[in-house]
Amino acid sequence: MTAEAETAALPFTTSELMVAAGSRELRDGQLVFAGLGIPQLAAHLAQYTHAPHIRILNEVGLVDPHLIELGVGNADPRHWYRAASFSTFVDIVGMTLHRGLVDVGFLGALEVDEYGNNNASEVLRDDGGIRRFGGGGGANDIASLARSTIIITRHERRKLVERLVHNTSPGFLTGGDSRERAGLRGGGPRRVLTDKAVFGFDAKTRRMKVLSVHPGVTHDELRDATGFEIDIPANCPLTPPPSEEEVRLIREELDPKGMYVSAF
Amino acid sequence: MPGQHPSSIPLVSKVKTVAEAGALVHDGDHVALGGFACARNSVAFTHELIRQGRRDLTLSAAVLGLDADLLVGAGRVRRLIYGGGSLDRFGAIQCVNRAYEQGTIVAEYYSSLAVCMRYLAGALGVPFMPIKSLLGSDLLTRLEQETAADNIREIDDPFTGEHVVLLRALLPDVAVVQVHMADEEGNARILGPRWDNDEAVKAARQVIVLAEEIVSTDVIRQQPEMTFVAGFRVNAVVQAPYGALPTSMYPYYDHDEDHLRLWVSHARSDKGAAEYIDEWVMGCRDHFEYLERVGGFERLQEIKADSLLGY
Repeated sequence: MTAEAETAALPFTTSELMVAAGSRELRDGQLVFAGLGIPQLAAHLAQYTHAPHIRILNEVGLVDPHLIELGVGNADPRHWYRAASFSTFVDIVGMTLHRGLVDVGFLGALEVDEYGNNNASEVLRDDGGIRRFGGGGGANDIASLARSTIIITRHERRKLVERLVHNTSPGFLTGGDSRERAGLRGGGPRRVLTDKAVFGFDAKTRRMKVLSVHPGVTHDELRDATGFEIDIPANCPLTPPPSEEEVRLIREELDPKGMYVSAF
Repeated sequence: MPGQHPSSIPLVSKVKTVAEAGALVHDGDHVALGGFACARNSVAFTHELIRQGRRDLTLSAAVLGLDADLLVGAGRVRRLIYGGGSLDRFGAIQCVNRAYEQGTIVAEYYSSLAVCMRYLAGALGVPFMPIKSLLGSDLLTRLEQETAADNIREIDDPFTGEHVVLLRALLPDVAVVQVHMADEEGNARILGPRWDNDEAVKAARQVIVLAEEIVSTDVIRQQPEMTFVAGFRVNAVVQAPYGALPTSMYPYYDHDEDHLRLWVSHARSDKGAAEYIDEWVMGCRDHFEYLERVGGFERLQEIKADSLLGY
């Protein structure tokens, strides 16, 4: 059976696997920044399963929403439903994140380099010009200040790159202790979660390292899709699949319209 | 005026028409916008600024939305001070992004918290605020070397030696904010989250409040803890029902998805944006005519929020 056919036969989608993998990184009682899409689904899945007391923050100024319908973004009141508190950016991003209270921040990325620095601003067009995106918003604040971050990106050669077009959200800069030397307080990236693998970081060099490969992804495929050198241990484990119950929760409770789990 | 009942408390009336309030903004002014992506933008006021021909504006906000995209699309903006921007899943702020790519605006591009810290310094009357974001990033490099050399510094904290970034106080000429209710003096109430509104409004030299309804001051005084800005700071109060449309106004009305998509499809090109502005902004006498043309009472009923859900 080819890798593709094997994947097709699996009783879960890649995005469901990513939601479950994100969820498992969270611990009960943590304070979490989780934006739209897979991060938010991962945080809610954790609340439904092993970590019911996670409190989710939204930069618009709210704490602990319990939505019943997914909306179009942070600014959509569907994402504010049954929040415990409405306040301001300075309260949430300032007096909570900047204060050092946020355990985990999820970050999306246009590009990521081997030290977990990431780009949320602009990419190069084929003609060499700049393609500008709306900007990182609070992404730099999260990357700078959260105790740990989890970066989510599509696994392509043009996204996992040797050199970023714009380092919007610093990871471990040039590795080693360069992040600390720059004066950054937050702990930096803990995981990079893609549609092919889960990465962690070497404690000393701070380079990305493969922790697990998703079922159906070959090691060659993983190397080909990565724009920098990666070592894949011969006995590299498979990313644990989502349980039947996790898949059910995602499909029936969290994203019944498939708005976000179809992203990958 | 509907909703204005006599009160025994003598008030200074700051009630103005949207045209009178628009005239408080001058060419070249810095306007702090009150919206966030596709939520609670002061669209009625933005349309009025475009109709009045205001230009060379500086716009600021932690997160830009439709109002900034319209003003940039209309060619009225010289400088942006911001952390990000989008129309959520409806699309990008395409006019802003295109202007950035083509270099037709100066973009002071920070993190969202950094913009709020600059407002906060302005609001407190201190010269700067320190921040621990931006360090080690290309945001900082570009601000220092290209767009904001006079507004940003790195220093070591004189008390502990810790390396920090200093952000210069930001004092907008005018802050504009769409609110749920205000009395005629400008004591104003916002329901839902307030993102950067508190600091922007208090940092600004002038404040324009656009209210879904103008109420008796006794309504405000029954729950004064709900007042986010006191009237003494406010220069103009404009009655602007559905003034945020097509953006949302939790918990009064939802975004108008069809009309946001219409803007996104036009904003793909300068020509399309110009056509939209001709038809929907210049081609409308005022926001009431705009509301009629997007579907009138029937459409407003469709997007009215469910009172339990708030959307």
